[in-house]
Amino acid sequence: MFTEEEVAIFLEELEEKLQVINDNVLILEREGGSPEVIQEIFRAAHTIKGSSAVMGYEKMSTLTHEIENLFDRLRQGEMEVSGTLVDVLFEALDTLKLLKDEITGSSGDVDVSAVIEKLRACQLTCGAGGPGGAPAGGGTVPTPAQGTGPDRLLPAGQVAGTAAGLSTTGTSTGYQTYRLTLELEEAVEEVVREAELRGFQAYQVDIGIDQGCQMKGVRAFLIFETLQQTGEIVKSVPPAEDLQEGRYGPGFTVVLLTREDAGQVHDLVFSIAEVSSVEVRPIRLRPGEKAPLSDTSSKQPAKKEPALSGKENVKTVRVDVQKLDTLMNLVGELVIDRTRLDRFVEVFESRYGSDDLVENIVEISNHLGQVTNDLQEEIMKARMLPVAHVFNRLPRMVRDLAHKMGKEIDFIIEGRETELDRNVIEVIGDPLIHLLRNAVDHGIEPPEERVRLGKPRTGRLLLKAAYVESHIVITLSDDGRGMDPEKIRQKAIEKGLMTPEQAARASDREILDLIYTPGFSTAGTVSDVSGRGVGMDIVRNQIEQINGSVEFTTAPGRGTTFTIKLPLTLAIIRALMVTLGDQVYAFPLTNVLETLTLKPGEIRRVRHAEVIVVRGQVLPLVRLAHLFREKGKEEGKLSVVILGSGDKKVGVVVDRLIGEQEIVIKSLGGYLGQVPGLSGATILGDGKVALIVDARGIVKDAGVEEIIYEVNRAG
Amino acid sequence: MAGEQQGELQLVVFRLKEQTYGVDIGHVLEIIRASDITAIPGAPDFVEGVINLRGRVIPVIDLARRLGLTPIGVTGNTRIMIVEVGGTTAGMMVDGVSEVLRLSRESIQLPPAVVAGFSAACLQGIALVEQRLIILLDTTRIFRREEKEALQELAKQAQERAAS
Repeated sequence: MFTEEEVAIFLEELEEKLQVINDNVLILEREGGSPEVIQEIFRAAHTIKGSSAVMGYEKMSTLTHEIENLFDRLRQGEMEVSGTLVDVLFEALDTLKLLKDEITGSSGDVDVSAVIEKLRACQLTCGAGGPGGAPAGGGTVPTPAQGTGPDRLLPAGQVAGTAAGLSTTGTSTGYQTYRLTLELEEAVEEVVREAELRGFQAYQVDIGIDQGCQMKGVRAFLIFETLQQTGEIVKSVPPAEDLQEGRYGPGFTVVLLTREDAGQVHDLVFSIAEVSSVEVRPIRLRPGEKAPLSDTSSKQPAKKEPALSGKENVKTVRVDVQKLDTLMNLVGELVIDRTRLDRFVEVFESRYGSDDLVENIVEISNHLGQVTNDLQEEIMKARMLPVAHVFNRLPRMVRDLAHKMGKEIDFIIEGRETELDRNVIEVIGDPLIHLLRNAVDHGIEPPEERVRLGKPRTGRLLLKAAYVESHIVITLSDDGRGMDPEKIRQKAIEKGLMTPEQAARASDREILDLIYTPGFSTAGTVSDVSGRGVGMDIVRNQIEQINGSVEFTTAPGRGTTFTIKLPLTLAIIRALMVTLGDQVYAFPLTNVLETLTLKPGEIRRVRHAEVIVVRGQVLPLVRLAHLFREKGKEEGKLSVVILGSGDKKVGVVVDRLIGEQEIVIKSLGGYLGQVPGLSGATILGDGKVALIVDARGIVKDAGVEEIIYEVNRAG
Repeated sequence: MAGEQQGELQLVVFRLKEQTYGVDIGHVLEIIRASDITAIPGAPDFVEGVINLRGRVIPVIDLARRLGLTPIGVTGNTRIMIVEVGGTTAGMMVDGVSEVLRLSRESIQLPPAVVAGFSAACLQGIALVEQRLIILLDTTRIFRREEKEALQELAKQAQERAAS
């Protein structure tokens, strides 16, 4: 039986490989099958096959075996990529995901026979279309050189020709193999030994290059690039500089440290054009022995390592987020102690100013401060994940949607590597999917319409993540229809949201913002994808919940761009600190619009409620003291914090404003649960707990509409 | 030591309003001095507030109020007993902790039937040790917020809101 951890590692690897297949199948569909892409999928399928077989997941290994077969034939050029093939592949991929769920127990028994049938059928039907005459060049032409992809470098005929020419000088297999006996210097040997301890295997890779090769430097560079993806090159003969200038003979030799097996390294290098021979031999160091042992040739597939020896799992450690939170808390404590130490140092300094000891203490205190800051920052970083975690599943969704709606869409993703807090990542998935659906469904026009409008047939959808100041900004832009304020105006009148006069008076911006109204849809027709009018309000809500904001710009006929601004982390926010009685409260700064001081006489009453007038706008007034049933300051000027959430605004009376501060948000804990008016707590510099006011809740509860209604009626 | 698990009980004994109480030592994480408790507006009245325990925000209840007695004020002797129950860490304010006591399970009697009602649910039993009566509290019960209570709480809040 396998331990839970082993299964977890397997699942993680599986997830990663499935993503690789998914991404590459999408490329396959878009750009056709380049040898690299096919190779990638083949390798991923191969890895899954191996590890699932070791783990005893038979259905999975059978299915991936079929996929592997299919790609092997693609690789050999015996088949071509077709639409049916891609569809079947996606089906196989979905089945693999179901199988994964079966393992985790979140899905029942999965039947794989149907999809295996399809894969087999595909091999039969698509097989006929293979590039016929190509393998004719003596029958011994290495397959990768004649890939069917667009980035093939030489026309097939030419390759065949070169091959034929060579075979006269070569051995019976048609090629000369390049081989070198390598002497390892002590330093390299040391590196190899150390790498072995860390689970890497050192290989001597002998690479022979076609005699007719025109750009030997480029070839060598490509080979280096490829090998460096799998591991590290610690030595090459001749040296790397010479190789890149193309100054080498019939081939060259490198020493590679990798966790891949010899067969994979071989296949990788061999898939590069104009490589005539590859030999991968493990280097075994024995105490006191320097020369590499060349016993296993990679031509016979190297012995499979047990698949679970895993690839990346040595570099990363899975840590419970809770542990990171605990670490964060402890660092917080450290910060508090340091502040106290600082204060103590000051006292010490003023009392024994000239003493050497004082200088020491000042130095220690400063150093401690720096280390604490760095520590805090590092732990924050440890909680971050690349946004790719969300983005990676989107291309498939867009593809499926586009197919369904008969649209042609070029979906581009930029900035996948941008990192943000895992909590934020968990929340943004839904709103993004929503916006994408909207863009595909009503944004981008059908191909015919686009052609008629003089736009490129294929719509463009760009999703981009980037850091802007201390925020992450995700933009989603399409080059589709855009939104027409006039149409929305009409719609608003039709739906009774506005009177014709109001609509005429409202600015375009105000009109456009109506899309956030619940139940409002700009779509002419309702489809099962979108257009029911549930949506934009929810999108905005979800994003605001994590202290983000969403805005958009649109131009009729030219497209729409949504800009989502998110905090890097949910754990730390900027807040306005205020006092009430002898307690300190924090208002999240995202909801604070401005602060004012008022004389008591400026407060007006509308029926039972207090209101204030700020630049002509009537705002309800809430006294924090009433809300929290505390004793607040009664007389003198009033400090008012204007809070906003959505389009609503409310003034909140507090005792005194302290200022802005960065605070670490802590939950009040499960025991207290949701306390009305509060959204959490934070720990202040002096170690005391301050409560965070639920600004959104206060604004929501303040009954803004009724008051405005009253005011409008009154005046 | 096997006997200890079966027949013996270790209690943390503390005082609260002139009475002696005990709780199972297994639930008690630590005992700290009471200082800087931040009140939580809108929380149930027996919740004294929250404290900062090495970077964690921990709720503290006024045990006396929880048991239906008049609240205790914070004095120099007041201690907060940090307990962990069912995954929640919380504090209970008590008048002072006196000792850790070992006693056999046989010396514990069930609470008398006359004592009934809300706070009696928190009683686990009564032990007589050297002429002293020690009231055993069930920490799990103290920190379990029964659905009924939660509902009562809501009703009360609604009333207050309507009144104000």
